[in-house]
Amino acid sequence: MVPTIVGVILLIFFLFNWVGGDPAMVLAGKISNPEQIANIRKQLGVDLPYWQQLLIFAKQVFTFDFGRSWSTNEEVSRILLTRVGPTLTIMIPVLIITTGLSVLFAIMVAYVRGSLTDRSIMVVCTVAMSISFLVYIIFFQWMFGFILGWFPVQGWSESFWKNLFTYAPLPIMLAVFVGVAPELRLYRSFFLDEINQDYVRTARAKGVPEKSVMLKHVMRNAMIPILTNVGISLPGVFVGSFLLEVFFSIPGLGREIITAVNRSDFPVIKAVTVYLAILTMLINLLVDVMYKYVDPRVSFK
Amino acid sequence: MILLNFGPLKLLRLAAPCLAAVFFATGAVADTPKKVLRFAFRTAETGFDPQKIDDRYSVGVCENIFESLLSYDYLARPVKLVPMVAESIPQPEENGTRYTFRIKPGIFFADDPAFKGQKRELVAKDMEYAIKRFRDYRNRSPYAWLFENKIVGLDELAEKWKKAGKVDYDTKIPGLEVRDKYTISFKLKDPDYNFLYVLAMPNVVPVAREAIEFYDADTMGHPVGTGPYLLKEWVRRSKIVLEKNPNYRGFELETRYADPGDEWDRAAMDSLHGKRLPQIDRVEIYPIEDEQPRFLAFLNKEHDILDEMPFAFIHQVLPNGKLATKLAKEGMHVFRELQPELTYYAFDMNMVAEGRPNPVGGYTPERVALRRAMVLAYDVNGEIEVIRKGQAIPAQSPIAPGVVGYDPNFRSLAQEYDPVKAKALLDMFGYTDRDGDGYRENPDGSPLTIRLKYDAGSAEKRQLAELYVKSLNDVGLRMEAVAVQFADLLKDKKVSNYMTATSAWIADYPDAQNFLQLLYGPNTGQSNESEFKLPEYDKLYEKSLGLPDSPERNALYREMNRLLLAYAPWRLGVHRIFNHLQWPWVKGYKKHPILYTNFKWLDIDVAAQQAAMRQ
Repeated sequence: MVPTIVGVILLIFFLFNWVGGDPAMVLAGKISNPEQIANIRKQLGVDLPYWQQLLIFAKQVFTFDFGRSWSTNEEVSRILLTRVGPTLTIMIPVLIITTGLSVLFAIMVAYVRGSLTDRSIMVVCTVAMSISFLVYIIFFQWMFGFILGWFPVQGWSESFWKNLFTYAPLPIMLAVFVGVAPELRLYRSFFLDEINQDYVRTARAKGVPEKSVMLKHVMRNAMIPILTNVGISLPGVFVGSFLLEVFFSIPGLGREIITAVNRSDFPVIKAVTVYLAILTMLINLLVDVMYKYVDPRVSFK
Repeated sequence: MILLNFGPLKLLRLAAPCLAAVFFATGAVADTPKKVLRFAFRTAETGFDPQKIDDRYSVGVCENIFESLLSYDYLARPVKLVPMVAESIPQPEENGTRYTFRIKPGIFFADDPAFKGQKRELVAKDMEYAIKRFRDYRNRSPYAWLFENKIVGLDELAEKWKKAGKVDYDTKIPGLEVRDKYTISFKLKDPDYNFLYVLAMPNVVPVAREAIEFYDADTMGHPVGTGPYLLKEWVRRSKIVLEKNPNYRGFELETRYADPGDEWDRAAMDSLHGKRLPQIDRVEIYPIEDEQPRFLAFLNKEHDILDEMPFAFIHQVLPNGKLATKLAKEGMHVFRELQPELTYYAFDMNMVAEGRPNPVGGYTPERVALRRAMVLAYDVNGEIEVIRKGQAIPAQSPIAPGVVGYDPNFRSLAQEYDPVKAKALLDMFGYTDRDGDGYRENPDGSPLTIRLKYDAGSAEKRQLAELYVKSLNDVGLRMEAVAVQFADLLKDKKVSNYMTATSAWIADYPDAQNFLQLLYGPNTGQSNESEFKLPEYDKLYEKSLGLPDSPERNALYREMNRLLLAYAPWRLGVHRIFNHLQWPWVKGYKKHPILYTNFKWLDIDVAAQQAAMRQ
């Protein structure tokens, strides 16, 4: 984990200093002179030698203290803590529903592979995947929020339950709608790989009921790549969808990250990136542990 | 003693009407619906420390929490200064170098823990403290330039603070003279007849030192002012809630400068007549960056007003320039506003830009001719009709509408779209296509490529860049459009790392000087992005600073405009027209060209609002 964190620190530091914009220019306002810009750079600490800035960054990572946002002066830790809730309110249901539906539909279409149903669903999935997420958002918001009035067009409140049952359903529905198609196709291929295995043929030859073959034997073995895929997408759950958050006024992390990038707000960018890197590593570790329970062939050394 | 003569039953019977009255009175108060105004900002705010901010949206909130010495009359057009916490508008003294204000006694800050349970009155020292805060190096104030080289002793104090690495607000300076509890006198280094406008800016406001020191690291989140509202709730970049400040003294609509022939003025006077303002109890502001949700939230009646309606929906709302029938039937109103702003393309006037010879820089006749040909070749009509959907007018001068010095009748042939004239001008000065590749070369035969830099984050800027490239191609000039990040664009323009680039300016205060200073030579490295240095122009500018608003000063402005058109350090763009929408239950609406918000002057018909929300 330590080498990965070091790599992340170096990469972020390199990208910000050589590719990112100068934050002093953004903060200086409409009229500023070189002296003022130098003063801002000094205040932000971006005038220090690179090695010193890098050391400060490393210290921040290990103390988890990223200071305050350069643009709003809000504590970075507060930004993360207050924005992650709305993001998870949307993304956890999205992950659960998308994975559930994808696995269910995938095993169903894998079972009837080559049939008209299978081919029709695959065509629908391919078409659905070809349309931009932005188009879906614009259409769903207009149709279900404005024309039909089933959901509010946008908004967020302080009540978790109101958010979950009033404001979140439309963005969740959208993300599920968009997420199911690619996952269904992928999981279908995992199931097909297993269905064609010898052990399935043997089980059927031994007279094991079809239901048991599919749900016990095929499903269990297909769960390993499915788990890997869910594990890969898990860190994304914690940063949310920028487009959903912007269009539905959800005060989540995705929106915060884009704002930070646009404003060259390095403390926020640093904190989010490190937080995401650590999360990714922890989740990978967790997924590795879970393999043991899904696949008996895997054992800990 | 009298009560002792009554039996318990009789006592109860006598008390019943009183109890009932108390009960119903309490019920009536509890049942009075709050007047709530809901609307969206199109960009997220940054915070509410008035001396630390410069974005319009944060300043717009501060307009309602804090109060400046002077402000603007709500209805008067052209805009008119009026006293706010000052007793009156002072006359310039000592040839426009001294302004003395007396603050109205009895104005109190909103109650706050910083005041430890005491009522805190606004005094002259609060203004002195606020002005010094602009120059406190720790605050990184984006409006520090307002008080640079301006107030006697302030530059020296700021320099001393910076050198010492610490600040001492108790140090007195001759330019900020607190004469008594309520009187402050500003002594300026040079005459400045626009200084009163500076003191009417919504972030040039007195603040309480105790509150600033109490909240220290997070003054952005704890604004404490004397204005009509206080910050009740703030979910950063998501929701801002303001509620009436109980300590606020209130006011009535000033109708002295209203135009009875103006339908908006009449409607405001009718609906606000005799009412104590502010009428709105609670204001909910939602920053929504994307256009569609902002627009749909308004159409869905989740919001009451929509300021700066997105241009993308202009054909749905204003087909052929008239409000759509369906919306008009619902009672929607649209306020069309030509904002005091200007878009333009700046040319870098240096001979070297981006580390190479700059073909558009310099003051020689052929360079001037090239820039003027580019000005003539640019299809500004296409920009207005296609990209801006008819919601703009071509700029004829660098001075925006609604500011002192703007002449609506001024027309300039130098800024008109005329590709034939552009070609003739290029031919005349030797910019011809010598190698037959379809593009013109420099008069010395070297290749000619002009690079345009624009903000990569804006789809509109990309369209404008494409139009510019096409316009120049049509006259045989080769242009490369380069998209760069906003922060980089700012930096490139500051350090002369561009040939031509997109720019815009919105008035800080309603005087032409705010626009004309953008080309003043000594402002190079600050606001003069073109690094335009023309002694003739500078002399006129300096002379205009010493004059109050007068025909003599307007003549100087006209002459400066003439020089701009002749030397073409800019290709003037447009003045945009914004459409502000309101539902019929919003009363008293009129958009002010300088102030960003107007909700302290608004009222709401709550019954109509709630009926619409139920539908």
